Amino acid sequence: MRRSPPAGCFSLYFSLISILTVVVICAPARPARAQEAAYFVTYAHYLEEPGNLEVALANTTGLPKNDQASYSAPWLELEYGLTGWWTAELYLEGVTTQGDGSAFTGWRWENRFRPLRSEHRLNPVLYIEYEHTNEASRIQKEIVGSGGIEFEPIGDLREARTHELEGKLILSSVAGVWNVSENVTFEKNLSEDEGLEFGYSVGVSRPIGLVASGSSCRFCAENFVVGLEAYGGLGSTEGFESGEQRHYLAPVIGWHVTSQTTLKASVGFGLTRASDHALLRVGVSYELPRGGR
Amino acid sequence: MCRFRVAILLLIGLGAVVQAAQLREHDARWVAPDRAAAKPNPLAGRPELAAGGHKIFVERCAQCHGKDAQGTSRAPNLLSRRVQAQTDGALFWKISSGDTRRGMPTFSFLPATQRWQLVLYLRGLHEPAARVGQVLRAIRAEVLVQIGHNASRGHQ
Repeated sequence: MRRSPPAGCFSLYFSLISILTVVVICAPARPARAQEAAYFVTYAHYLEEPGNLEVALANTTGLPKNDQASYSAPWLELEYGLTGWWTAELYLEGVTTQGDGSAFTGWRWENRFRPLRSEHRLNPVLYIEYEHTNEASRIQKEIVGSGGIEFEPIGDLREARTHELEGKLILSSVAGVWNVSENVTFEKNLSEDEGLEFGYSVGVSRPIGLVASGSSCRFCAENFVVGLEAYGGLGSTEGFESGEQRHYLAPVIGWHVTSQTTLKASVGFGLTRASDHALLRVGVSYELPRGGR
Repeated sequence: MCRFRVAILLLIGLGAVVQAAQLREHDARWVAPDRAAAKPNPLAGRPELAAGGHKIFVERCAQCHGKDAQGTSRAPNLLSRRVQAQTDGALFWKISSGDTRRGMPTFSFLPATQRWQLVLYLRGLHEPAARVGQVLRAIRAEVLVQIGHNASRGHQ
């Protein structure tokens, strides 16, 4: 049976996307470039530049095992640099499952703080996020705990709302031309007692071209970033069952199409029984600089 | 829903206060370590690479430092004596490290070659400015001499 989403929430979601799309298209073309790594899950220590707003649209397409229906989980991300040491982000997310309809799956409020003034060998960033999502959420921006995704009807899953608090310790370094980042994730479900859940992600990435050419070019090697990230859930304080853990290995690529626009893509290959076959991710981000002199 | 709206508004308000309170003036404690400051620019003999530095400057720096690098309310004048007196190594270190307390981003994600290209470009910017300054000083001196001549003729 095909279920339709609640009209209010879903129309709000797409209205927001439409408004932001218009804003992005109509925005004056002023140079500003996001400090974009190509990662989807892993965070490096680079924050949004103060006063800049980055608008991103991305999607995770999951190809599950055992003949389960594939799903597509889009999200809208608004990232704002409040100061040099504090970046805040708002996420709105949804899901569409083949043969089961679509739903708005909730929102997230994320904050990243960089405690140290300058660059060091190991650069820590503290991350705190509040999530108000439902069990139909499948964007998988982070994976924690154990067990696979639930494949009950979306209509049932979206009734199960959860409030969660998530923390990350982000460590990131520069080794020559490489960025090496490690994230440890802790998540606490405030709606029910599931213990404290753990997850991880690690990533390495580098730009392809090392020298900036003097002319403006779209396909120059300097505009491309490649990398590899690994992420997964480890379990919780209630148990660490290795057979139920999900782990993924994902090559990533990013392309700075213009000074304001970045495209990125990744294919995450499931490494364990509980993982999906693959997670295909694509995203586009657009940087809006702060005006004024 | 109402509590959510209030929370969002409070957070936005807090963010605005923090952003407004962020100081922009010169930070005297932001000094490159001696070893970093002593590094020479490996691209110093390759002026042709400054064009790439200009491109990076326009894309990443001009928004705060101004198109002409003469500074804005958000970031200082890069042609000033205080900035230009610093060594290439010190400028490279500052570009790489950033200063989160003053809103200067970290640019270590750029390959080192591109950061040196940026230093090369900033040095090149200073030279024409210095030449313009010399010309203006010469004109001013000439005008003063002329005024002096005219005044002495008037007295006669």
